[in-house]
Amino acid sequence: MTRVLRRASLGVLVALGSCDPAPSGVAGTLRLPIINDPIFNPVIAPDLGSVMVNKVIFSALVRPDTALQPTPDLATAWEAAPDGLSWTFHLRPGVRWHDGAPFTARDVKFTFDQILDLSSGTRLRSDFAAVDGVDIVDSLTVRFRLTAPFAPLLTLLGYNAGILPEHLLRGQRLSDATAFNRTTPIGTGPFRLAQVTPGATVVLERNPHWYGAPPGLDRLIFKVVPDINAQVAQLRAGELDLVTIEPANLGSVQHQPGIAIRQVPVVQHWYVGFNTMSHLFSPPAVRRAMAYAVNREAIVAGVLKGYADLPTGTIPIALRTYHDTTLHPVPFAPDSAQALLAAAGWHRDADGKLRNAAGREFAFDLLVDKGNPTREQAALAVQQDLERIGMTVRLRTMEFAALVRDRVLPGNYEAILIWWTTPPDPDQFAFYASDQDNNHVRWRNRTADSLLLAGRRTSDVATRREIYRAFQRVERDDPPVLVLFYPREIQAATTRLRGLPALGIRDALRHSEALSLGPGT
Amino acid sequence: MTRFLLSRALHAILVLGMVSVTTFAIMHLAPGGPSVLADPKLSAAERAAIVEQLGLDAPLPVQFTRWITRAARGDLGTSFLYAAPTAQAIADRVPNTLVLAGAALLLACLIGVPTGIAAGAAPGGTLDRWALRASVAGIAVPVFWLGIMLILVFAVRLQWLPAGGITADVDGGGLVDRARHLILPASTLALASASELFRYTRAAVREGRDANWWRVARARGVPRRRLLWRHAARHALVTLCSVLSVQLPRLVGGAAITETVFSWPGMGRLGVEAALARDYPLVMGVTLVVTLGVVLAGVLSDLGQLAADPRLRRA
Repeated sequence: MTRVLRRASLGVLVALGSCDPAPSGVAGTLRLPIINDPIFNPVIAPDLGSVMVNKVIFSALVRPDTALQPTPDLATAWEAAPDGLSWTFHLRPGVRWHDGAPFTARDVKFTFDQILDLSSGTRLRSDFAAVDGVDIVDSLTVRFRLTAPFAPLLTLLGYNAGILPEHLLRGQRLSDATAFNRTTPIGTGPFRLAQVTPGATVVLERNPHWYGAPPGLDRLIFKVVPDINAQVAQLRAGELDLVTIEPANLGSVQHQPGIAIRQVPVVQHWYVGFNTMSHLFSPPAVRRAMAYAVNREAIVAGVLKGYADLPTGTIPIALRTYHDTTLHPVPFAPDSAQALLAAAGWHRDADGKLRNAAGREFAFDLLVDKGNPTREQAALAVQQDLERIGMTVRLRTMEFAALVRDRVLPGNYEAILIWWTTPPDPDQFAFYASDQDNNHVRWRNRTADSLLLAGRRTSDVATRREIYRAFQRVERDDPPVLVLFYPREIQAATTRLRGLPALGIRDALRHSEALSLGPGT
Repeated sequence: MTRFLLSRALHAILVLGMVSVTTFAIMHLAPGGPSVLADPKLSAAERAAIVEQLGLDAPLPVQFTRWITRAARGDLGTSFLYAAPTAQAIADRVPNTLVLAGAALLLACLIGVPTGIAAGAAPGGTLDRWALRASVAGIAVPVFWLGIMLILVFAVRLQWLPAGGITADVDGGGLVDRARHLILPASTLALASASELFRYTRAAVREGRDANWWRVARARGVPRRRLLWRHAARHALVTLCSVLSVQLPRLVGGAAITETVFSWPGMGRLGVEAALARDYPLVMGVTLVVTLGVVLAGVLSDLGQLAADPRLRRA
C-alpha cells in the first residue's frame, strides 16, 4: 500500500512539473512489442519475448551476419583443434559489464557451467549436448572441450547463449536470482536496462561504454502488447515502430502512410509429419506420392498470401549457404501420386477410396494445434488434397501444449502438421537422424544418418555444403516429412527505421546497435 | 455486528478452501500442461529436470498439500512464467486493476444510476425508450470489438488518445498522462456495467412508484423531485448494493479482454495468461486474490444494504 501511495504522490509531483505529456515519438527511441513480461536471463528463459530482449542486453561470443555466418562479438578470434575435440576462443579485451565490472574468461566458464548443469534450470542444455566443459586458459582465453567434433558450435554460440556475469550470479540457482531476472539484469550488450514496468514496458538505454560502433538509438523500448490486433493498431497510431505480423493482418497495414512492409525468410520449415512406424507411411514411395498430391503452391498463395517460399526439402532457403538451389520444388502432380500409390499396392475402388489388396482403406488422423488460423487452414488444404486421391483424412485439433506432451513427444500420432524453428545451421541430426529425441516421425535412413553425422563433424563450409546437398537429395527419394513451405517473417515498420538487417527479428536484434531512426519517406 | 463479521470471516475461509480445491482440480484435469514444457525440442532429460524443479513430479494430493500449507503461511510459490514469487507478480498488477476497475465502476454509476432514475420516473418517455435501446446495445456489444473500434477511432484516426498502456513510454507517469491512458479502457469496461446498472435502477424506481409508500408520500405533498431523488433513489440503492457486489469482482478479475486489447497490465490478463500457460502457482494465486475480492465485496454490499435500509438492521 505504501508503494501505491508513493507512486501516486510521485505522479502528482510529475504532473505538477509538467502537465503536458511527452510526445509519443521521442527521437531516437524505437518501440517493439513483446507478448509477455520477459525473464532477463538468456540461459533459463524459453519464450520469444525474453529471447528478443536478452539478445539486446546480453552479448554472446559470436553473432550471425546477414548470411547467418558467425562473426566476432565477445570473442574476437577462435580456432578448433585438428581433432575437432576442442575450440579455443580469444576474448575481446577491455569489455565491461553494464555495472562497470570487467568481463573475463571466468564469466564464459560460469555461463557454460550453468548451461550444462540441468539443475540450474537451463533451457540450452540440448543445444550444447556435445560440450563436455569449458576451461579457462587465461583471463581472456577459454577452451571448450567437446565429446565429439561439433560443427554447429559457432552458430549455437551466437544463437541464444548470451553470456552471464559471474560476479552477480555466482552461488545461487539461476532461477532463484529473482532481482536479476526481473528488474536488474547486467549484460555486456549495446543497450542496458533503464526501467521495467511489470506487464507494460522494458526501457533499454544506449550503453555508452559498449565496445562496438556507438548504437544509433538512444533507447529501445519493448512494450508488452499481448494482442496482435492491438499491436497493429498501435503501429498505425505511431505507438510502436516495428511489428512482426501474420498474413491475416496484412490488410490493415498495407498502403498506410509511414509504414513499410518487408519480408525475410526465416530458418523454419513447416511440415506434415507421418509416423513412419505406421504401416501406411513406412514405404518411402507412399510419402513421395503424398508430396505430389498436396498443392503447396495453392497453400502458399491462399493461406500465406504469398509470404512463404516453396520447399525442396527440410533445409530452408534462409540457410543460403546450404539450401540446394539446383533442386526444384516437388511439383503438384496428383497423377504421379496415383501411379506411385498403385505401384505400392493402393488402388481406388468404385467409390474412389484407396484400398490395398486386403481391402483396407487408406485412412488416418491428421493432428493440428488449435487456434492458429494459418496452421488450421493449411491442415484443411492438406486434407482436401489427400482426399482427392482417395485417402480418408480425419482432422483432429488439440491445444498446443497437449499436442506436444501427449502426441509429439511420445510419437503417438499418425500424421501431424507442425513446424521446426532451428538455429541458423544446417545441422538437423537431432531432428532426422535415427533414434534421436526430436525425430518424432521415427524416420530411419542409413545414408542420411551418416551424412548428418559427417555434417556435424566437419567444420569446413565447402565440405559441409556438399554433405548437406547430398542429404537434400536423399530426402527427395525418401522424404522424412512432407515439407509444406518455408515461411517468411513479415515485418511492418515505420519508414523512419534504418539499419535493420535482412534477418528474422530474433537474429536481427543481435545487431541492435545498427538500428537508427531517420526522416520518414 | 461482531457476530456478523465473525460469521462472515468463517464463511470466507470456507469459500477460499473450496475454491482452492476446485481450481486445483480443474487445472490439473484440463488437457495439456505447463507451457514451459510445451517445447517439442526438449530432450527427455531436460523435461525431467524441469518437472522436478517445478515440483510437478509429486502426486497431486502431495502437490496440493504442499501448496496449501505454504499458502497458509503466506507463501504462494514461484510463478513458472515469471520466474518470480507469485505474490510479487500479483502485487505488481493489483494497483493497475484497482485503478481501471475503480474508474470503470465510477463511470458506470455516473451514467447508469441517474439515467435509470430519470427513465424509471417516466416509463415510456423519450429518454426511457432511447436509454433502453442503448442499454441493450451496451450489453450486447462484444468488448474486444468495441475496444478495437475505440482505438481505431480515437487513437489511430483522430490521434486524441493513446492506443494502449498505462503511461507514455518515455517520461510518462504524470496524472494527465495516466488519465489519458485510462479513458478508453475504462469507457470500454464501463459500458456493459453502466447498461446493467441502468436497467436495475430503472426497475427499482418503477417498482417504487407502484408501492404504497410512494402514494402516501405523494398524498402528503412531498415534492416529486424530492420523492424521486431521495426516496426512490434510496429504495433503488438497496438493489444496487447487491448488483454492485456482483459487478466489482467482475471488473477486477474479469476485465481480461479489455486489459488485453488496451495492453493494460492488470490482474484479469494475468489470470488468463496464467491459465493458458498452465502456470499452476499463478493461477492459484490469482484465483485466491479474486475470491478474496468477491468475499470482501459481499461483506461491503451487506454493510451498504444495512446502511441504506433501516428495516434490515432490526432483523
